[in-house]
Amino acid sequence: MIHLLSNAIQEGLLNIRVKLGSFLITLLMVSLSFMVFDIFLIISWNLGTVLKNEQENVGIEVFLSDNLTEVEAVNLADIISGMEGVRAVYYVSPQEAEAVFRADLPEQADLLTLLGPQFHLPPSIQISLHPDYRTSEKVGGLARTVSGMDGVEDIVYGKEYLPGLTKAVDILESLVILAGLVLAVSLSLIVANTVRLAVARRALAVQIMSIVGAPGWFVKIPFLGEGLLTGVAGAAGSLLFTVAVSWMLSSSIHHEFLPGKWIMLVLILGASSGAAGSWIGMKSGIPKPRS
Amino acid sequence: MLVTFGNVSRYYNDWPALENINLQVHQGEFLVVSGPSGAGKTTLFRHIWMGDLPSTGAVEVAGYRSDRIRKSDLPFLRRKLGIVFQDFRLLPERTVFDNVALPLQVAGTSPKAIRRRVFSLLAEMELNHRRGSYPHELSGGEQQRVAIARAMVSHPVILLADEPTGNLDPEVSQIVIDLLIEINRSGTAIILATHDPRQVPAGVARFLYLDRGHLVNPNLWDGYRQL
Repeated sequence: MIHLLSNAIQEGLLNIRVKLGSFLITLLMVSLSFMVFDIFLIISWNLGTVLKNEQENVGIEVFLSDNLTEVEAVNLADIISGMEGVRAVYYVSPQEAEAVFRADLPEQADLLTLLGPQFHLPPSIQISLHPDYRTSEKVGGLARTVSGMDGVEDIVYGKEYLPGLTKAVDILESLVILAGLVLAVSLSLIVANTVRLAVARRALAVQIMSIVGAPGWFVKIPFLGEGLLTGVAGAAGSLLFTVAVSWMLSSSIHHEFLPGKWIMLVLILGASSGAAGSWIGMKSGIPKPRS
Repeated sequence: MLVTFGNVSRYYNDWPALENINLQVHQGEFLVVSGPSGAGKTTLFRHIWMGDLPSTGAVEVAGYRSDRIRKSDLPFLRRKLGIVFQDFRLLPERTVFDNVALPLQVAGTSPKAIRRRVFSLLAEMELNHRRGSYPHELSGGEQQRVAIARAMVSHPVILLADEPTGNLDPEVSQIVIDLLIEINRSGTAIILATHDPRQVPAGVARFLYLDRGHLVNPNLWDGYRQL
C-alpha cells in the first residue's frame, strides 16, 4: 500500500515535470486571482480593526441625580452589574468626575472655579458591555431599562453613530465572506479546467493505467495532488506578491498586514478550491472504465 | 477454464457487434481469432478485460463474472491479464524501463522487486540495451516487443494480443508471432486477434473465425480465401 501511494505521488510529480511550463502559467493565474482577494482582505482587515476599536468603546454612561447618596449610587451600580450583557460597572463620584474633567480639559478648568464651590459635576455609573451586546439594538434596550430606574437622571450612549457602526461591521463581514466564495468558485473553475486539460492530454496514460490494473484512486491521486498543489502554491505565491506590494506602500499608506489566522484561511481556501477544481475536472474528464 | 462466453451478445444501437457467442478458453491454450475488419474481434477482447459488458449473456474470466463484477474488482481482474495493442500504446514520456514497470507500479510492487523483474524480462526479450530509450527512439518491432514485455511483466494468466502485427512489416511480424508462441510454451494462455491467421502455424493454435459478430465454423468459412 505504501509503495502504491508513493508510486501515485511520483506519478503526480511526473505529470507536473512533463508540463512544467503550463503548470507555472496556471500557478501565476491563480496567484494573481488570489492577490486581488488578499488586497481586499488587507483593506477589510484594517477597516475592520478601526470599526472594532470603535465598537470596543461602546458603553453606557448613566448620570445620577444630585440628591442620591453615595451608598445608594453604589447599590444602583450593583443592580446594574447583575444585568444581562453588562461586563463591568464603575461608579464615578462627583470628585472623581471633576478630577477627570481637569485632567482631560485643562484649558477649561477655570470654568469650574468660576462656577464656585457649591457647583459639582453629577455622579455617574460607567457601564462596559460584553462584546455581543455592543450592537445598537442591545445597547438601546439596556439603556431603556436603566433609564427607568430610580435615581437615574440621564443616559448617554452613541445612539447616533452606533446603528451605522454596527451595520458597517456586518456589511464588511458579509463582503469578506462573499468575496471568499466568489474567489473559491472562480479558482475551482480555473483548476477544474487545468485538470480537465491535463486529463485530456494524459488520456493514453489514464487508459493504459486502467487497463493494466490501476485502482481508480491511483489514477485520480496525481490529478487531485496537482489541483491541491496549484491551489496552495497559488495562494502562497499571492501572499508573497501581496507582502511585496504591502511593503512598497507601507511608507505612503499606514496599514497592517494580515494576521496569521487570515493567512491560514487564504491557504486553506487555496487548498480546498484546488481540490474541488480537481474533483470537477476529473469527474468530467476521466473516461469511465466501462462504457 | 480461464475464459467462458455464455450466449454473449453486444448491441450498439440495435447493431450487433457480437451475437450469441459461446466460447471457452483453457489454461495454456493458444487461440487465434481472425476475421475481417469490423468482425467484432476488438469487441470480443474488450469483453475479456471487461472494458465493455455484454447486452445479454455473461463472460467469466479468471473467476470474475461480467454480471457480478464490481467496479472495485476490475483492477484485480486486469492484473491477471496482459494486453497488447496494434498501435503499441506505450507512454511517450516514459523510458522503456518505466513503460514495462507500469503494471507493477500500479499494483504496489516494491521498487526493488520491480527492478529485478523488469531487468530480467528486458534481458529475456533482448531489450536491456534499450531500457533508457524513449518509445520514439525505437523501431516498430522494438516498440511492440516493449509492449509485450509490459503485458508479461506481472505474470498474466492470459495474454490478449489485438492485431499486434498490424503495424509491422512481415519479417518483424514473424518475430513477434514467434515471441508469442514462445510465451505460450511457458504456460501463458494467448488469445491473438489477427486478420491474417496464416501467420500462426496450424499445429500450434486453435483457430476461430468471427464474421459480423458471429462465430463461424472454420471449416465452413469462406473468408479465408479472401485474405
